[in-house]
Amino acid sequence: MRELLRILRPARQQWRWMLAGIGLSVAVIAANTALMAVSGWFIASMAVAGVAKVSFNFFFPSAAIRLLAILRTVGRYAERLVTHEAAFRILADLRSWLFRRLIPLAPAGLERYASGDLSGRLRADIDSLESLYLRIIAPICSGVASILLAGLFISWFSATAALVLLALLLVAGLVLPLWMLRLAKQPGQQSVDLTAALRNQVSQGLQGAEELLLLGASEHQAAEVERLSAELINRQVSLGRLAGLSGAGVVSLAGLALVLVAVAVIPEVSQQQVSGPQLVMLLLFTAAVFEGVGPLSHALQLLPATIQSVERIRELADAPPALPEPEIFIQPEGYRIELQGVSCSYSGGPAVLEQFSLTLAEGERVAVVGASGSGKSTLVELLLRFRNYQGSITIGGVELSDCATDELNRLLVALPQAPHLFNATIRDNILLGRTLSDQQLSELVEDCGLDAWIATLPLGLDTPVGETGNAVSGGEARRIALARTLVTDAPVVLLDEPTEGLDGATEQVVVQRLHKRLAGRSVLVVTHRPTVLALAQRVVRIG
Amino acid sequence: MQSSEMHSSPEPWLRQQARSVQSRLLTAVLWGLAGGLLIILQARLLATVCQRVVIDGQGLATVQLLLAWVALLVLLRGLASYLGEHAAVRAAAEVRQQVRSRLYRRILQLKPTGQVGEVGPLTEVVTAGVEGLEAYLARFLPQMALAGLLPLAMLLVVLPSEWRSSLVLLFSAPFIPLLMILIGKGSETLNRRQWERLSRMAGHLLDLVQGLPDLKIFGRAKREAELVALVSDQYRKGTMAVLRVAFLSAFTLEFFATVGTAVVAVLIGFRLLAGSLTLLDGLFVLLLAPEFYLPLRNLGLAYHSRMNGLAAAERIIPLVEQPLTELDQAGSEQPSNQTPEIRCESATFRYGGQRGGVQDISLTIPAGGLTALVGASGSGKSTLARLLLGLAQPESGTISVDGVDLSALDQAAWRKQLAWVAQQPFFIAASIRENLLLGVDDADQSALRNALEQAALWPVIARMPAGLETVLGDRGAGLSGGELRRLALARVLLRDARLVVLDEPTAGLDAENERLVLDALERLAKGRTVVMISHREAAIARSCRVVELADGRLQRLVSPQQYLGVTP
Repeated sequence: MRELLRILRPARQQWRWMLAGIGLSVAVIAANTALMAVSGWFIASMAVAGVAKVSFNFFFPSAAIRLLAILRTVGRYAERLVTHEAAFRILADLRSWLFRRLIPLAPAGLERYASGDLSGRLRADIDSLESLYLRIIAPICSGVASILLAGLFISWFSATAALVLLALLLVAGLVLPLWMLRLAKQPGQQSVDLTAALRNQVSQGLQGAEELLLLGASEHQAAEVERLSAELINRQVSLGRLAGLSGAGVVSLAGLALVLVAVAVIPEVSQQQVSGPQLVMLLLFTAAVFEGVGPLSHALQLLPATIQSVERIRELADAPPALPEPEIFIQPEGYRIELQGVSCSYSGGPAVLEQFSLTLAEGERVAVVGASGSGKSTLVELLLRFRNYQGSITIGGVELSDCATDELNRLLVALPQAPHLFNATIRDNILLGRTLSDQQLSELVEDCGLDAWIATLPLGLDTPVGETGNAVSGGEARRIALARTLVTDAPVVLLDEPTEGLDGATEQVVVQRLHKRLAGRSVLVVTHRPTVLALAQRVVRIG
Repeated sequence: MQSSEMHSSPEPWLRQQARSVQSRLLTAVLWGLAGGLLIILQARLLATVCQRVVIDGQGLATVQLLLAWVALLVLLRGLASYLGEHAAVRAAAEVRQQVRSRLYRRILQLKPTGQVGEVGPLTEVVTAGVEGLEAYLARFLPQMALAGLLPLAMLLVVLPSEWRSSLVLLFSAPFIPLLMILIGKGSETLNRRQWERLSRMAGHLLDLVQGLPDLKIFGRAKREAELVALVSDQYRKGTMAVLRVAFLSAFTLEFFATVGTAVVAVLIGFRLLAGSLTLLDGLFVLLLAPEFYLPLRNLGLAYHSRMNGLAAAERIIPLVEQPLTELDQAGSEQPSNQTPEIRCESATFRYGGQRGGVQDISLTIPAGGLTALVGASGSGKSTLARLLLGLAQPESGTISVDGVDLSALDQAAWRKQLAWVAQQPFFIAASIRENLLLGVDDADQSALRNALEQAALWPVIARMPAGLETVLGDRGAGLSGGELRRLALARVLLRDARLVVLDEPTAGLDAENERLVLDALERLAKGRTVVMISHREAAIARSCRVVELADGRLQRLVSPQQYLGVTP
């Protein structure tokens, strides 16, 4: 339970909404129970008066019935709106909190999650938190409140009835839910994990659908999805069975409470301690009050699955960043880059970079070449502060681990090995929210060898690139990413294979343009293509 | 896409799915009905108890037996509600599994043809979308039957006790479905829009997280964090707009039920005061009045389930019912077992005229040997490769294998003879061994090792602590870009294919590794037809012939010497 409340911390400013929702649901339960109780008392009183042929002042009770009826109807509408509003506000806060937590983790901290798994955590797990307040916290609070209120109310009339009712309410509101919690634990947790596994399998399969088809492995993949789905549905049926069981339990307990309250109160009616109409009132009250307790077992039954989702989100958010932000950061002076005896390995694997040293003076242009797997791309990632390293890397005299990412990014831009294209237009992908004049943008597009291709597109720069850029070819995507790198004039530019996927003629044009555009800036270019070496003043071999 | 009007509408489609679990649903309804009858009995017994105690002044002893009966009835009610719920849940589970299997298989077949959209939304449909069917089947359908039957039963038993109250109930009831339909119509459109918003938001957050490294490089991550908050907030507002309307139907129902009950209570009250009705009958009717409205109210709540189900079905139907392309359907001719010769005759594919593609390509790729496919980016190389592989079908012209039109071939058999290495090869998040075995039924250790050695990857894998059991992360994280290409190549080498198409097999490789891979390719090309898209001189130099494309047309078909001699 503490874990659950901890995940709500980022949304704590929504406490007013949460509290209002709980208050409203208690009010609705109270209004509903009172309505039933007053109606029963009213009818019975009218009947008694009718038999005794005496008059009965029906103005007050009938006015109360009307008032309670309105309170119940309007209150329930308001309650639904307020609790949902609270739930969605909490959700929005959690979503942006999570994104902020992921910023320092990317990319090294996220590599161990498959993209389908990641999307599941960002989507299904976060969404299942919608029920955290709506179906767990709010019903538990209002259920407990209504148990207490009901006990208080009925004890006014009959102490024994109060004891009987409280006992059964506690069974329905505490024992039954806790039992359900125990039974739901395993299928609940498993259903969350299986949902994630299924989503993963589906998205992986769809991403590789073409290759799967040609590998003849489509059926193998579909069978795997089918198996996961069957297992998931199996757990869901178990959970459904438990929901049915707790529903049945509440129905039976409410009925038993009715019988036992009758048994307790009828002798008191005979002894004239309680009036006849009050008996009817107490019976109808008893029947109604269980409506407020019913959601409790459902709430506890949802708990295991929700805790599992919370765990999955916490696991994601609590991962340590590869290179934590410094507590006190030091302002770099200039932008000379020095690497001394730098080594790096991915999560305990063999070293991808070993004892590497390099100096990139201000305004110097260096090309790095080497066999594939020799750590060329890792070098770029290290300079971006994406990974931890041994040895020393300084920029402007400041060790990278002491340099704030924001500060670093002012000095340094990069074209990474696998740039991501966002599901937006070519223009948005180049600019990423920054501004350029039309003139500057068209020059940039031309320098990256994109102009001829863009001219053939009916929508030009406003053509969408599709999900992860799949509506454009690999070479086009690379050039869009190159253009993105050249929007600002940060003094240091890192380029990881800037011309990969380009044909010879285009490559030459792009290299020429880059030469001009990068004049005066420090450049570190990772490549294996001879044409690109022309960009550099000296060549360093790695590995 | 043209056939979009031909799809089934969601409601009949859902009913049709329900037909396969008819008996279970019927069971659910029967148990619901039994529960309702037990409620009537319970109300009658309880009213009798009150009559005897309150009016006749009898003690506990005379009503003990009645109370014992009530206790038995409530236990039976619990049982009925459990069994009804269980049957409905089982019915919905069966349908979900059936639909998901069918849907996923269909999408997996359709995805390569590029006709079904993007991975993110499709994944949503297969997972959350199919789950959306549950509420319709398990809640809405049984509730609808009960809403038709139970109030009628209540009305019939109330009639002899208090006909005036029956009239009140009878006349208030029809308003409820009427109003619900009016409100439901409005929220149906809202609901549909909501679904779109939901999947867009899902894609948005994932897209941003996948692009986080890029956002960080350009110092844009914090700005996007605000965008995440903004988009979530828009989603909240949109959802609340839907819910305000959706809850209105519940509100209306509740209002009518409450007013109806109140009118009945007042009617009974005055008849009781006048002494023209017994407490037994009066209380019996009062207890049943809310129960009369309950199935209707439940239906009102389930109406929301109906809309969820319809929204889900609307996403599912076009996919399930989309016909497979002619290429996939037609063809029974068995491909020969010999190395294939591929002939294109005026083959044209221009993505329905929307994008570049290829135009009027006529060429013959002889059996065996390595053919290089070159041209500027966007010149149609990838499109031609897709046509050769049968992933797309020429809009005009033909492609034939050993003189047999590609579309006349039995596709399943033909695909067994194909292999493809994409520009970004596909790997599952599993061990290297499992990834290698994806394309073959079985292979022993020495075959695996042999393939890896030919792809110049064995030394790399042997160096890893877990070797072949090393688990690849997403998109193969753990191996370098060049190593992943070679792993994909090893997978093809394991597969005994006759036609192999490779997209830039040596991109990202240094000269030494490139040489190793090309050696392997040369070995592969003996007795196989290998087509390779490439820019790299070293690769082109090893090929037997060069097919050059420009602007989607065949520029020339020359020897590598000729090609390299002219190109600087």
